[in-house]
Formats: sequence, C-alpha cells, structure tokens
Amino acid sequence: MRRLIRHDEDEIDRILSGEDEILPSSGFAVSVMDAVRREAAAPPPIPFPWKRALPGLVAAGLALALALVVGVMVIAQLGRASTTALFSTSLPSVMPPIFHGGMESAAIWTAMALLVTLVSVKLSMRLASGRG
Amino acid sequence: MSATDDQADVERVLAGDIPAFEGIVRRWQGPLVNLAYRFCRDRGRAEEMAQEAFLRAYRGLGGWRKDAVFSTWLFALATNLYRSELRRIPARTVSLDDIAEPADTRATDGGLEDQDRDLAVRRAVWALPAKYRETLILFYFHDLDVTTAARSLGLPEGTVKARLFRGREILRGKLTQRLAVPRLKEA
Repeated sequence: MRRLIRHDEDEIDRILSGEDEILPSSGFAVSVMDAVRREAAAPPPIPFPWKRALPGLVAAGLALALALVVGVMVIAQLGRASTTALFSTSLPSVMPPIFHGGMESAAIWTAMALLVTLVSVKLSMRLASGRG
Repeated sequence: MSATDDQADVERVLAGDIPAFEGIVRRWQGPLVNLAYRFCRDRGRAEEMAQEAFLRAYRGLGGWRKDAVFSTWLFALATNLYRSELRRIPARTVSLDDIAEPADTRATDGGLEDQDRDLAVRRAVWALPAKYRETLILFYFHDLDVTTAARSLGLPEGTVKARLFRGREILRGKLTQRLAVPRLKEA
C-alpha cells in the first residue's frame, strides 16, 4: 500500500514538475517600463488632511461616546423597571412603541436589529469583494 | 541570475535611476509571468498580473529589507498579488466532481494516453480548493522546495507540508484509476 502511494506521489510530482514554460511576449518588458515611468512621473498622492479632519473626527467621537452613554443610561433605567405596567407608565411617550412590551421585547428587538445589521454588513462586504 | 545584480539595480533605482529597474524586469519577467500563468492559465491575464507585480515591486522597493534575498521578496509580493487577484476574479476552473474517472480503463485498451493523464492531473489541481491549489502551484514552481514555497506564501513550513499532504491526498483519491494505469501496463 505504501509503495502504491509513493508511486502515485512520484507520478503526480513528475507530471506537475514538467509544466510547460511560457515566454513573456516581446514587448512585455517595454510595457512594464512604460508603466513604471508613468508611475514615476505621476505626482505623489495627496496625503490625507489629518489637521483639517481632526475637529470633525473628534466631534464624531464625542457624539458616539454621548450616544453610548445615553444608551447605557436608558438600558439601566429599563432594567430598574421591574414590571411592564410600571415601565409603560414611567416612559409612555418618550420611548418607541416596541419598548412598551417590557424588557424582553426590547431585548428581542435589539437582538434582531443587531442581526439585521450584521447580515447586511456581511452581505455588502461579500458583494464588494466579488464573491457574491 | 545574480543576487548582487538585483541589489545593485535596487540601489540605483532607489537613488533615482529609474531605467535601472529594467534590469530587474528583464531578469525576472520569465519567472513572474510563468508563476502568474500557473495561477490563472491565461496568457494575457498572466502578463497583466505580472506587470502589476512589477509595478508594486517598484513602489515598494524601499520596503525590501536586505535580510532576505531579493527574489524571495519579489516572489512573496507577486504570490500575494496573484492570490488576491484570483480571489477577486477567479480563473475559470472545473469542479473536482467534473474530473471524471474513466468508466472502464480496460475499454481504452489498457489505459489512457500519457497526455490525457497529465491533463487530468493538471485539471484536478486546478479544481482543488484554493489553499491546496496555491500550495501545490508554489511547491512545483519552486522545484519541490518547501522552504521557498513557504516563504512565497508567507506561511510556516509545517502548514505548507500539511497542505501539500492533504492536496496530494485529494488528488490521489480523485485520480486513483488514472494514476493506476501505468502500473497495470508495467505489471
């Protein structure tokens, strides 16, 4: 059995080692050098304007942090509300209707939203990378 | 192909002598085009991919640390590019299931022609999952040198050996009858 496997491997090695070589076309090197010269002649890429973008990035970061803090506070508040009735009387108008069902309902909706986000991100990345 | 020639040309290019890059292109165009061809099996596309590899090499020349031979760096760069290009736009391949076994080897009067068998093996390699196919391509391209193949792929040697083993195992499983033909003839 081992001899048979060895023989098969030798055969595969022999076949795949003997691949035909191709020669680059006559103008290949010239074409590469043209591309290199074009590349060398092109102006250097414009660097990202970090100084200009910094205030916007800081503002975006602060807004995100604020949204997180508010989110955590709302979740903590929801956690404290022990019954659906209490919850619906304490936050009747400010919260969207989905939260009126109580903590479990809110958690389910949140989980679904996260799932939909994850799927859409994955799908768009897959499509963008051309593997769809 | 001399490593010192490569180093001298790189230094000249980095010093601003752009035409010196032609020496590198002329020395390595054959290997780079052939490696690309093994990945995509399309001559025109192979040259396009090789040209892009040279352009990237030109852009990244300053990043070549001289602790590795220039060719090792160049092959790693080209392999990386070819793999991602093929992931982006795959070459036309056939499914492993489409590599049909002959229904009855006796029906072909003792076996298939060598040429058919070689073609079947190459098609079977082509139909392998990418990680095995790429490993086998690099291994045979570098004349059965696991170390160089591993460097080109940027993988540990152990991983390359494991993939080679598994890739060949799949090939053997798929091509048992075809590979067995010469044994029957020899017996």
